[in-house]
Formats: sequence, C-alpha cells, structure tokens
Amino acid sequence: MDLDRALSISAAGMSAQSTRLRVVAENIANRDSTGQSPGAEPYRRKTVSFGNRLDRNLGTETVRVSQIGRDQRDFPERFEPGHPAADARGYVKTPNVDSLLENMDMREANRSYSANLAVLETTRGMLMRAIETLR
Amino acid sequence: MDVTANSPVALAERRLAWLDTRQRLLSQNVANADTPGYRPSDAVPFPSVLQRSRASAAMVTTDARHLAPSQASLLAVREHRVAERTPNGNAVSLDEQAVRIAETDQAHALAMGLHRKYVGLFRTALGR
Repeated sequence: MDLDRALSISAAGMSAQSTRLRVVAENIANRDSTGQSPGAEPYRRKTVSFGNRLDRNLGTETVRVSQIGRDQRDFPERFEPGHPAADARGYVKTPNVDSLLENMDMREANRSYSANLAVLETTRGMLMRAIETLR
Repeated sequence: MDVTANSPVALAERRLAWLDTRQRLLSQNVANADTPGYRPSDAVPFPSVLQRSRASAAMVTTDARHLAPSQASLLAVREHRVAERTPNGNAVSLDEQAVRIAETDQAHALAMGLHRKYVGLFRTALGR
C-alpha cells in the first residue's frame, strides 16, 4: 500500500538525516584532534552525500546516504613549537573542520528531519482515518 | 443507488487511491530534500487520471498471458518548472511540498468522510 511506503520513505529520510547529524557530531568532536608525531596528519573532516535509490523490497525510490567521504581541503596550520606534532618549522597541522560550516549543516539536518517527521505524522493521520472506517 | 464504477463510493475509493500515491510521491520529495540533483515529482492531476480511465481507448487484454494494464494509471511526473534550485541541483522547495501535503491530507479527510456517509446510507437501507 502506498501509505505504508510513504511511512517507510519518511523513515528513510529521517535515518539519512540522523547519519548526517552523527557525522557532524564526529567532526565537531574531533575539531582539535591533531597528530601525535611530527608532521602527522590531523583529523580530516568527513562529508556526507545523499542519493536517491530504488529500494527493491519497497518497490519505490527512497533516500539513502550514498557515501561518507573526506574533505580534501588543506589543513590550516598553527605555530606551536612545543606541540608533539609540530614539524621542523614549529607549525602544527590542525583539522580542516569549520565550525560555522558544521553548525549550518547541523541546522539543515535538523530542519530536514523535522520536515520528514511532519510528513510521517500526516501519513499516519491518513492511515488512522482509513482504519477508523472499519469500526 | 448503483454500485457501479461511477457511484460515489467507487469514486471515493479511486480518489483515495490517488491520494495515497500522491502522499507517497510527496514524502519521497521531502525525504530527498537534500539530495544533489534531485527533481521533485507529483501525481498526474486527478481529473485527467479519471478521464483517462473512462476513455474507451483504454488498454485491454486479449490473451490470458497479457499483463493487465495497471488499474489506476497513476503516473508520477517529474516537475519541469521548479520554483528554485540550489547550487547542488536540488529543486525541492519544502514550503511548497508542505502545502501539497496539507492539501492531500484535507482531500483524504473529505474523501473518507464521503465514503463513510455513503456506506452509512447502505447500512441504513439494510436496517442495521
């Protein structure tokens, strides 16, 4: 039935958004994770891509996290000669996590999650109304 | 009262089936609100679905092995004219989808109410 599928699609949307939120949390938590040895690479920011995929069990298209990639931007450097990861010049590579970007991503995930939840509620209302007629 | 294809009960049923499909398509759009390159789709308007199913040019099966034409030709159409498009090619506008979902919900309540009323009439006629 189409309404059941609609429920599953909304649920898939919510799960995709929560994966995104999880990655945002990982990025923010690792904002200061530098390397341990001189010249070692610090934490590289993770990115999430969504894809519209056909769910064969459901027979309809849903959304899924298609790939969790790595941000290829350069690492910013900070002058801190006493740090264990400082290179010969005394610079430490810091993670390429931009808190502003993460914050925006988090808000967008939140907004999309709410939208999916609202659709789920509406669909549920429609289903309940259909069930009511059996009484 | 006839219980044929054009009775209010049958009509309400078709409307409900169409609304179900539409809700599925709209929830697909909302779920893909952040998918790059995704274009929203919507159901073919109900009047044209109704017209098409009434037309005499409908497909028929002349052999038992033929696949039956899908009863409700509820085709999804990708939208060509979209209000806005984000830099990653996504064209879903959440506000617009919200309005459509509200419309669908309201129409569903109406069709369900109609269905219930008519079934109630039958019940009354049967003396239950």
